[in-house]
Amino acid sequence: MANALEIKNISVIYGEGTPFRKAALKNISTAFPQGEITGIIGHTGSGKSTLASLLNGLSKATEGEVLLFGENIWAKPKEMKKIRSRVGLVFQYPEYQLFDETVESDIAFGPKNIGLDAEEIKSRVRLAAEFCGLSEKELKRSPFELSGGQKRRAAIAGVLAMRPEIIVLDEPAAGLDPKGREEILSGLVEYKNRYGATLIIISHSMEDIAKYADRILVMKDGEIYMQGTVEEIFIQAERLFDAKLDLPQITKLFIELKKRGLCESTDVYTVGYAKKEIQKNITK
Amino acid sequence: MLKDVTFGQYYPGNSLLHRTDPRIKMLILIEYLVLVLVAKSELAALISLAFTAFLIAVSGVRLRVLIKSVKPLIFVLAFTAIINLFFTVGEGEPLIEWSFITVYSSGVRNAVMMLLRLLSLVLGTSVLISFTTSPLELTDAIEALLSPLKKIKVPVHEFAMMMSIALRFIPTLIEETNKIISAQKARCADFESGKLLERIKALIPILIPLFVSAVRRAEELADAMECRCYNGGEGRTKLKAMKSRPTDYVFLFAATVVTVAVFLANRLQFSEILTLCKAIF
Amino acid sequence: MSFIEARGVEFAYSPDEEKVINNIDLKIEKGSYVAILGHNGCGKSTLAKLLCGILVPTEGQILIDGADTADEEKSFEIRKKCGMVFQNPDNQLVASVVEEDVAFAPENLGLPREEIRRRVDKALETVDMTEYAKHATYKLSGGQKQRIAIAGMLAMSPECIVFDEATAMLDPTGRKEIVAAMKKLNSEIGITVVTITHYMNEAVEADRIIVMNRGEIIADGTPKEIFSEVERLQSVSLAVPQVTELMYLLEQDGHALPRGVLHAMEAADVLEAFIKEAKNG
Repeated sequence: MANALEIKNISVIYGEGTPFRKAALKNISTAFPQGEITGIIGHTGSGKSTLASLLNGLSKATEGEVLLFGENIWAKPKEMKKIRSRVGLVFQYPEYQLFDETVESDIAFGPKNIGLDAEEIKSRVRLAAEFCGLSEKELKRSPFELSGGQKRRAAIAGVLAMRPEIIVLDEPAAGLDPKGREEILSGLVEYKNRYGATLIIISHSMEDIAKYADRILVMKDGEIYMQGTVEEIFIQAERLFDAKLDLPQITKLFIELKKRGLCESTDVYTVGYAKKEIQKNITK
Repeated sequence: MLKDVTFGQYYPGNSLLHRTDPRIKMLILIEYLVLVLVAKSELAALISLAFTAFLIAVSGVRLRVLIKSVKPLIFVLAFTAIINLFFTVGEGEPLIEWSFITVYSSGVRNAVMMLLRLLSLVLGTSVLISFTTSPLELTDAIEALLSPLKKIKVPVHEFAMMMSIALRFIPTLIEETNKIISAQKARCADFESGKLLERIKALIPILIPLFVSAVRRAEELADAMECRCYNGGEGRTKLKAMKSRPTDYVFLFAATVVTVAVFLANRLQFSEILTLCKAIF
Repeated sequence: MSFIEARGVEFAYSPDEEKVINNIDLKIEKGSYVAILGHNGCGKSTLAKLLCGILVPTEGQILIDGADTADEEKSFEIRKKCGMVFQNPDNQLVASVVEEDVAFAPENLGLPREEIRRRVDKALETVDMTEYAKHATYKLSGGQKQRIAIAGMLAMSPECIVFDEATAMLDPTGRKEIVAAMKKLNSEIGITVVTITHYMNEAVEADRIIVMNRGEIIADGTPKEIFSEVERLQSVSLAVPQVTELMYLLEQDGHALPRGVLHAMEAADVLEAFIKEAKNG
């Protein structure tokens, strides 16, 4: 599969030439395959959010390049708007960006800025709202009257309505209850499947990453510390602990069971799979 | 852009200025403002410049921070200097005369003076107050200095409290503004092109969320303050006593001397001073 | 008598709006550690505000240490006894410098200076932030800000602290710091802790869990009891710890496994016995 997004030798350095020089990202390279969900995990300050803002050209790396389907996103700085509509970026607590009179017109803000016609905008707003589980009634309301979870969904819909090929989300489910998390994340997966989009999700929740991601990128001190499939990463519990990260509780349980010689598998990170493993074990 | 704003930021430290009684600092500030604004002659300007340099030196604030604090004002500074340079009509022969541009020597003088004055104002007040005085100290000082007004029912404490909270929230709101700008840019918002009216309109998606969040913050802060038994100024005590030490008064006295010196220097011409110096030595 | 007692409490933000809290009877004993669990918008934050007197019930009454929260004259006493730590770390810090912020409550109480100093130092020590006493508050991490907010409460020396989703905006490290602080306050200083959350692994740490849905209490018991009822929790949009869910799923398949297993190690022990038995039998 082609790489939707690729970063090559990216460094971000603040205060170059002063004694306060600080490297937020240190010469990192990786690729995000099209149609896959990549989870980025890492301790606060590991460079995850800095990386996110580079991917849609919101900020520029001190060194290195970002390639969108093989093309440098900074090749034509004047067409940055286009890049931003192709690489959607959802910040942490995006509900604080809502501003318009109705949810509908707020979601339409992005598509309008790209310069789409009214008909197209309308249909995109409807679809985006659908993916995010917002009803027709909610579209007509003021965004400030919505509940916390609905606001979050409206804000994410505002990015989906630009119909990006890649969506980068910084903690999309932070602060929501289990049902709210599930609704938002499964809506995003639905969008991804429908348009063959690529998702990049930054999260602190190992459970969510385990459940949704295909690949994991572990960041530590501005470097890529580990990368690989979910299984390849979670198998290395010790290294994750070194990066001040945790494992899903169920994975911890199975590591312990293996230690006690009761179970072979180490790739257990969802409850459903865990149940099958145990059943396999007792019928053997 | 907004990242460079350092106004209202306190840099904890232990320099002479950090240790000076905030009330005394307020009084010195008043004198300082007067002396910078009245300094007209070259000598007066030199004195005021020297005093500014002295304040910076005893503030312990790093040069990098100072440069950062001036950065956002470069445009204003350059603009004032240019206006003074080209629009001062002086006596005698112009220095440069080229098409519609004429520069007189007095224009150069005015530009330099204006530039120095503005720079001094910004740097001096920054090191005297915002960088070295925590907002709480500052408001305590204002409250103390204005306390005679309480007798005529001026809500001095409330005013001081509002100010301290405003200062406390400046960095928070700047950070928030940057976040909102980024979020709207990610939705392809354009803040850099278009006519004036369009640009003003483009600010709505920033201002409304900012306003909504400021109101929300205010409500939450009010609850939090009430939870911590805030009940207005009455019966409040303070963790830190404002104690003035002898050095504070020496400092204040020195500032007064400098101010008087500036007034005197304004009256003297540079040539007169030279003759005076010659006479002495 | 219980420290907090709610009798037939109902609450609506305005008379024509739907009730957020419905007929709640609740007793919280002194020195207990209670978690109130519920999905977003179930009324748990409103209940928190009622329990420490920021809001007053529209029907029924709440007694804190025998004093009715509706009694204006007792509100100051109630505030002193029952503090609150809020969700957003930024919106509850009043001052720009750590120790000045922690001193805010004792200052409001009008305590003598030496006592304020003592309390501030003690509170900072308890939350392990002594070395940050002179730091600027806005530069701290979220977890550190919340610890300062806790210290600010401790300096008031309350008998009870209500945490209103105090960990919701923090990263896992910050969350651990705050949960550790809550445990310490409860076990070492004997403060009654009421924490509002939707994180299961935080609720598990409490002695007692109260589950809310649509403004009502639907379950009340020890963590083991509460997490034994997986269907019931799932029916109100709550999840259970992963190992608890695993045990539940296996039980559904007809295996005899104990309910209410909460921790990975505990689950490993249970499964070890279970697998060995299944293979032998």
